[in-house]
Amino acid sequence: MLELNAVTLAYGPVMAVREASLHVRQGEIVTLIGANGAGKTTILRAVSRLLDPKSGAIMFEGRDLRGVAPDRVVRLGLAHCPEGRQVLARQSVRDNLELGAYIRADRAGIRQDLEMAFDLFPRLRERASQLAGTLSGGEQQMLAIARALMCRPKLLLLDEPSLGLAPIIAQEIFNIITNLNQQGVTILLVEQNAHMAMRTAHRAYVLEAGQIVAEGDARKLADDERVRQAYLG
Amino acid sequence: MPLAWFLQNLVNGLSIGSVYAVFALGYTLVFSVLGILNFAHAAVFTLGAYLTYVLAVGEFGLNGLLAGATMPFKLPFALALLAGAVLSGLAGMAVEYLAFRPLRKRGADALLALVSSLGVALILVNLIQYLFGAEIYSFPPDVLGSLPPAILFHVGEGMVAMRTIQAVLFGVSLLLLIGLVWFIQFTKQGKALRAVAENPDTASLLGISVDTFTLGTFFLSGLLGGMSGTLIGVSFGLSGPYFGVAYGLKALAVIVLGGLGSIPGTVLGGLVIGLAEAFLPPELSSYKEAVAYALLFAVLLARPQGLLGKSAEEKV
Amino acid sequence: MEDLLARYGFLIVTILQQALLGLSLYFPLMTGQLSLASIGFYSLGGYVAAVMGTHPALAPLREALGFSMYPLEWLVALLASSILGVVLGYPALRLRGIYLALATIAFVQILGVLALNMPITGGAIGIFDIPQPFESRLAYAWFFGPLLALTLFFLWRLERSGTGRLFFSIRENELAAGAMGVNVTARKVQAFVIGCALAGVVGAMSAPLLNTWNTRQGTFDAAVACLAYVLIGGARSKWGALLGAALLVSLPELLRPLKDSRMILDGLVLVLVCVYMPRGIAGLFDRRRA
Repeated sequence: MLELNAVTLAYGPVMAVREASLHVRQGEIVTLIGANGAGKTTILRAVSRLLDPKSGAIMFEGRDLRGVAPDRVVRLGLAHCPEGRQVLARQSVRDNLELGAYIRADRAGIRQDLEMAFDLFPRLRERASQLAGTLSGGEQQMLAIARALMCRPKLLLLDEPSLGLAPIIAQEIFNIITNLNQQGVTILLVEQNAHMAMRTAHRAYVLEAGQIVAEGDARKLADDERVRQAYLG
Repeated sequence: MPLAWFLQNLVNGLSIGSVYAVFALGYTLVFSVLGILNFAHAAVFTLGAYLTYVLAVGEFGLNGLLAGATMPFKLPFALALLAGAVLSGLAGMAVEYLAFRPLRKRGADALLALVSSLGVALILVNLIQYLFGAEIYSFPPDVLGSLPPAILFHVGEGMVAMRTIQAVLFGVSLLLLIGLVWFIQFTKQGKALRAVAENPDTASLLGISVDTFTLGTFFLSGLLGGMSGTLIGVSFGLSGPYFGVAYGLKALAVIVLGGLGSIPGTVLGGLVIGLAEAFLPPELSSYKEAVAYALLFAVLLARPQGLLGKSAEEKV
Repeated sequence: MEDLLARYGFLIVTILQQALLGLSLYFPLMTGQLSLASIGFYSLGGYVAAVMGTHPALAPLREALGFSMYPLEWLVALLASSILGVVLGYPALRLRGIYLALATIAFVQILGVLALNMPITGGAIGIFDIPQPFESRLAYAWFFGPLLALTLFFLWRLERSGTGRLFFSIRENELAAGAMGVNVTARKVQAFVIGCALAGVVGAMSAPLLNTWNTRQGTFDAAVACLAYVLIGGARSKWGALLGAALLVSLPELLRPLKDSRMILDGLVLVLVCVYMPRGIAGLFDRRRA
């Protein structure tokens, strides 16, 4: 569904990602793990077109994303739940969710999905009229995920969903991720918390200083000595 | 304190203050989305006044390229006001396209964008001078139709006169403000605009086109500018193509007083300055123009974030 | 040749004068501060010279000093500008970015209103018939030329000195400089006051040149022009103001045949330079600093 071919990304003169290749098949959960600054977020930003690759191609459902504007990506069925949650703090929870469905025009369907989002995350229903900025970290993460789902994406990009969250809440989030996948959402998950990510995903890639150094079945990779030492110790 | 004196000054202050607020909101809208001040706004203000004049009165002045020309039609004032405002909105979009967008695409310094907008202002104002000439344009006294020039109220022992134009200023400004607030708070596109202002990257990820909304913001800003320019022009006459400069600088005082980027702050700031100017004792009337700047200075020294702004988070 | 000099004499002198005004803006820019106050001090300096040159109470002093009256005017303007610069600078320079620029704009506007209303400044009419030391315009180059050369030399030394490095460190990263023990506000004020003092002296020199002095010397438009010189010439180079002034002052002259549309072209040049030459003319020659 998603394919990166030898993608090189840079911020000005600083090289962030070197010739990375990865793919995500429909129905999978693929995780990209690596240390801070390895380039994981950069890759996601390139996929959602907030960043232009210096070289290489990014294909989504067979279509080259080169030249596509970032606000058009979501119309292709690709939703990005960014690092740091990035909820719209000055607007209400409900408004955040409704803006998640910005590209849609079917009011009835949106209302339906809003209800489903509240069913999935009951705590959001409680706080529907509150300003998003007043929510706790875990609640904001749930809001960010719910918001990304409001456009009924085919592929969901999740950037460090467990960052800064207590382990119990993080586990909840990963459970939800597994659930969503079972309901048919393909997921590319970027995580620093390799442990949980490897247990949730089908396949994994390891990113080190901008380069993919390992890839394969998540369980098998979790057992790999190098990976264990570097990321799971 | 005589009630009539107080009410008279209140009327004067609120009517001019509300126009200051509307004009200053043009700066505020652009600032909240781009984080910079659009110094071409005052030129759009001026342009709006001239355009509405021509649409309402139907003829040009005695100087400039279009000297002596007449329009094939004349519009009733309300329509001319609206049309002038829409054209100003388009001019505002042109400013974004010419002065700001190219610089953004190149990642240029905010300061450069400021100067670039000054350049566009210079072009616009001089274009106006070239076409319209530098003379004074006065709206004819019957431009508002057959309304009485003023309404007199007897209050206590005195009299309060509300000129019709003051009522128009206040009324139109109020309508614009209500419309703007309703749009921004309660409509889907308004919320999308707020999203762009708060976090452009995230807005993009939701499918909101930052470029389109930026253009839209400039349209709104230009609309407000053109409207307020016309209202001032009808009140005080168009003293020349540079008549917008003084109001432009005063509007800067308004937005700082209210808090940069805050819409309610801008409204408050406009009213405060309007009232301060109105309540100025007559002995000091020659210093009236300094009131806004003195307030600006005082605010910057005592509370830079303004009356309703949040603490120092400047983007320039 | 004589004919050419006479025709372009005023142009040359204006370029020198405007370059100096641009440089008065450059000093605070060295610490990264955008100030539009220079034009106010220029106006102040001009009024000082105008008053000293025409006020009846000072006639005996003028008699006694003769030509030396002019340097005295410059000195008084320098002192007045410096003092007012410190008074304005200390509170204002605690503000950052656009707030400082707005404060300086406000200051200039207030000065303008004051000048319109004080009897000593002649109100709206201003002061006229200011005694002129020279017959021809070009001769004023004897005032502005040496001052410009002196200022550029001073800047050349300053850039290499400890103080200069401190200024630049503040421009690069104010927080870091402060953390390393630099008294940021004091340094910013220092740069600011030098700029104000320079503007004051230029004003004092300009009053005789223009023969009359009023509030039209201290407008927002004039402040914008100074900013334009520096930006177009290059905000990171001491030569910027001179290059920018040379271009922008001579442009209307070169475009004289286009008469009415020259101001439009001025604006166009400003926009084009901002878009295509953001580092200004000097920046084109400066490939070292990325």
